[in-house]
Amino acid sequence: MDRTFLIVSTLLAAIGGVLGMMSVHRGIRSRWTVIWMVAAFACQIGFLSVRGEARGACPLRDLGEILAFLGWSLTLFYLVVGPPYRLSLLGVFTAPVVVVFQVAALIPGVLSLDPIHATGTDSWRETHAAMSVLSYGALALAGVAGVMFLVLDHQLKEHHLKSGLFRNLPPVRELLQSMMRLLWIGCGLLTIGIVAGFLMPRTGGMGHLIAAVATWVGYALLMTVKTVRGLTGRRMALASVGLFLGSLTVFAFV
Amino acid sequence: MDLICLGLNHRTAPVEVRERFAVMTPKLGEASREMAALVGVSEAVVISTCNRTEFYLAADDGGETLRLTEEALILEHGLPADAGHHFYRMEKSEAALHLCRVVSGLDSMMLGETEIFGQVKQAYQAALDAGTTGGVLNRLFQRAFGVGKKVRTDTQIQEGATSVGNVAVDLAEKIFGHLKNSEVMILGAGEMSRLTAQALVSRGAKSIFVTNRSYDRAVDLANEMGGSAVRFDDWQRVLEKVDVVISSTGAPHAIVTREHVEKARRARKYRPLFFIDIAVPRDIDPAVGEIEEVYLYDIDTLEQLAEEARVRRKRQIEDCEQIIQSELAKLNLPGT
Repeated sequence: MDRTFLIVSTLLAAIGGVLGMMSVHRGIRSRWTVIWMVAAFACQIGFLSVRGEARGACPLRDLGEILAFLGWSLTLFYLVVGPPYRLSLLGVFTAPVVVVFQVAALIPGVLSLDPIHATGTDSWRETHAAMSVLSYGALALAGVAGVMFLVLDHQLKEHHLKSGLFRNLPPVRELLQSMMRLLWIGCGLLTIGIVAGFLMPRTGGMGHLIAAVATWVGYALLMTVKTVRGLTGRRMALASVGLFLGSLTVFAFV
Repeated sequence: MDLICLGLNHRTAPVEVRERFAVMTPKLGEASREMAALVGVSEAVVISTCNRTEFYLAADDGGETLRLTEEALILEHGLPADAGHHFYRMEKSEAALHLCRVVSGLDSMMLGETEIFGQVKQAYQAALDAGTTGGVLNRLFQRAFGVGKKVRTDTQIQEGATSVGNVAVDLAEKIFGHLKNSEVMILGAGEMSRLTAQALVSRGAKSIFVTNRSYDRAVDLANEMGGSAVRFDDWQRVLEKVDVVISSTGAPHAIVTREHVEKARRARKYRPLFFIDIAVPRDIDPAVGEIEEVYLYDIDTLEQLAEEARVRRKRQIEDCEQIIQSELAKLNLPGT
């Protein structure tokens, strides 16, 4: 049942993304992407509920669950930030990232088929895991907004203004504001996650906490520079994409 | 009952003739009442914009009413008796087709413009309120609005800016979103700068700073635009806070160099900056466009974008005409 929810959710996000891209190619605004993403989000909740029930805890115990939770978090932030701020195309750019995370979760062996019921839960551990993955959703979406900015910036600089993509992308300033907003939210959630990580009973090494702190320092530095000194949109976008991909890579090895 | 249309527009009459027939918006109802009072006329709608004045009438004998109305109008507006060549006359289905083309923006000076739709609606509403419409014109105008909407929805006749000023405004909105938080500096108080700045103000630009070698001209333009004049020596200081710079001086060399912008970057906190260079020779060194957060567009690029939009719109004409023809064929309009 849990895998079915995840497969359906992945298909819905993929359909939303593909239809959105086709609309953009025709120069039409993709109004339906948000509907497909809402449906995908509902299935993600279904998956997490079934897994949470089976675990008797927050479903973040294996890599598949973490990836699925990340997909859910990314979709959540898209739904919170995209439509209310009229950031058209954010859904079209977000859907492929959600699909990648969830397809990775569905690779045989990544998601445990028989989740073990947790014998005891620790609230700090649960908070640490949930907040950290949730923060990654916001930071991933900041990366998505960064990619959108880089595309638009290139088109404006090179005077390539005829494409449907150009017509449908949100304005530069709105993308930069959204990126910054998402970075603040992501960093705030990551701070809570890290604090909870230091307070939870330690069972293994400190590797992933050190990686989390290093990630936090990277983002904090980026936002401090942006706020105090200022930063060009391109550098900010490249930094937010780079930091996200970099931290994902680090976590893959820690 | 026959439907007829008598009118003059930018193609058939010069401005000195058109202005005599222009009817101010509050007087449209009264003008429709006067037309409906003519012998043989039972319904009337008067449309008046800066480029056209048209009289849509429902009359017992279309041909005779056209002749009499034309004579009455020439006499009333003090034109010579041979001024009839300024008018176009249409009857029945031709008049209905013309109205649909007008509403769709196909007969406008700026092909595909959207303002005409609202202006015709306003004129019809005034006639409706004045009680000068009936079975023929009510049905005609309501159907024409439907056709106009369909044309605009199903084609791209209104897409893309077709003037340099509007291209610049569209680009500014693509960079800054709503312009209500954007500040604009005009370098050189020429006509082109004024028009472009006016377009930005009409879309909500927050404040305008005008600088010119002749400070008096800067003050004049600033007053006209509701902005502030800046001494020419001070423009670099203003550059630190504005979002858009429109430059159109008569200088024979570049006024804004890369060094000028580099100096302002830190104070601007590297925010996006949009330069519109409409001067020939160019006022802004092309090297300025290499700065990361700077978007630089010169007159040639803006003209090219406007021309491309005009060509795209022209390609849409055939599709629009087909929609109008097929929609009219479906309707059995009285008086046609």
